[in-house]
Amino acid sequence: MLDFNALISEKSTNKQALSGTVLKQINTQISNQINTGVLVLDAEFNIVLWNRFLQVHTDKDAANIIGQSIFIAFPELPERWLSRKLSAVLQLNTPSFCSWQQRHHLFELPHTRQITTDSEFMAQNCTFLPIDTDCEHKHICILIEDVTDVCHYQGQLQKTLAELAQMSRIDGLTQIYNRRHWQDSLVQEYAKSRRHTKNLSLMMLDLDHFKLLNDNYGHQCGDMVLIEISALISSLLRVEDIFGRYGGEEFAIILPETNLTGAMELAQRICHSIATAPLKYNGQVIKVTVSLGVAPLSEQTSSYEELITHADLALYQAKAQGRNQVCSATNMATA
Amino acid sequence: MSEFHLTEDQQDCLQELINIAMGQASDQLARYLDTFVYLKVPSIESIDAKDLLQTLSQQKNTMAVVSQGFFGYEGIRGEALLSYQEEDSGRIGDLLGYEPDELSQDEQLIDISSILTTTFLNVFARQIDNQMSYNAPKLLPSVQNCLSEHLQEMTFNWDLALKININYQVTDYSFNCNMILLIPETAIINIKKVLDRILAEF
Repeated sequence: MLDFNALISEKSTNKQALSGTVLKQINTQISNQINTGVLVLDAEFNIVLWNRFLQVHTDKDAANIIGQSIFIAFPELPERWLSRKLSAVLQLNTPSFCSWQQRHHLFELPHTRQITTDSEFMAQNCTFLPIDTDCEHKHICILIEDVTDVCHYQGQLQKTLAELAQMSRIDGLTQIYNRRHWQDSLVQEYAKSRRHTKNLSLMMLDLDHFKLLNDNYGHQCGDMVLIEISALISSLLRVEDIFGRYGGEEFAIILPETNLTGAMELAQRICHSIATAPLKYNGQVIKVTVSLGVAPLSEQTSSYEELITHADLALYQAKAQGRNQVCSATNMATA
Repeated sequence: MSEFHLTEDQQDCLQELINIAMGQASDQLARYLDTFVYLKVPSIESIDAKDLLQTLSQQKNTMAVVSQGFFGYEGIRGEALLSYQEEDSGRIGDLLGYEPDELSQDEQLIDISSILTTTFLNVFARQIDNQMSYNAPKLLPSVQNCLSEHLQEMTFNWDLALKININYQVTDYSFNCNMILLIPETAIINIKKVLDRILAEF
């Protein structure tokens, strides 16, 4: 077996060898200057050694710490779990690890970015190493790395990703779902209703004479109307209804577990609420109405696209019949 | 046959070293886990980077993969990948001797992986007069059904690797997992040197 210590000392004897005392001093200084916590336990989990990093961060009295059980010195540690983990290190003579991603921290230590991060305790990566010495019993060295920065930036990244995911679903102007997300939802709801033979209705609605409104009052007024109408309709819906902006001034609502009667009632309520809503722009009262088309899922409906077509046709009929009214796809078929 | 391929003698020698290490590792694990641990006869082969993708993505229902790097003296280094199937991973916490609420599923997978990898490699390292150090084990992200996608996104800086596949089974806990040790090109040269030395000593 290669003796690596022998290799090192052989090499150093060629030059001016440093005395054992000096090497020991260097080692001690390194372990006391390093920005990693070092804690050594005996086989009964009593603390036999710790470095300056831990002393400074725990603000505990060194005289009391040495010889004390790690679970008394650090009562925040999960005793049963950690004992089992430490015994694996002793018994298998293998290292063990604990990442901040699974456990944010083991030791309740303050960290060095208390001002610019929001976590209370230092996020830690802990390593448990078996230590063999001349002593008949094994020891365990615990290395505690401060990964508060990593944890903080990872948190920021996750937050940004969640925001991006949210933004990719939302229409920037009206803050309701955009066309793409709305359509993805329809595909899902359609499949769900088919699988469980549940009701499903679709409502398409369009602002009446929106172009005229833009021409008369300007696009800012048009935008205001789109925002106000979206908010008004949202307030009339149930949580499970899926409301999206289909196109410019065209909106669409997926109504899960809703039959034609229910969908028609809601459509009438929306129609009435908008027609009587007191919308104002620059002190002027703006009169806005909508036309609505409703289509229920029937056994004959062969695809979600067909459902859209039916609701769309009903909407055109509502427009053709003079606007500010509701038409259903079934009425139209019998008409 | 490239400089990265093992000769027949080298392959036999490595196989023998691994067999011995497996025996000792399974004995140690059985004592610690207090149940029998079965290790199947390992397979050793050279593998292309592109074939690794296939091998791993062929394993259906792979729920999780844990990766842990290892490195020893004389340039012996590599990466251990442990892959788990949904149906074989329900009782890992139990197997490790933890209470159900003490640790998450992710932590259970990471913990058992680290124990299996380090126990085996420590014994193996002793066989070749070496000593291993290890990285912290990492759960590869979003493995569910897209491990191959994940691997496809990685650009390997090696073409050929030595692949050692060992299957672990703990029937009492219906536990089953695959450990794949991958040793990249430069480390193969180093391990060949070690094998030649051992062969010369016979």
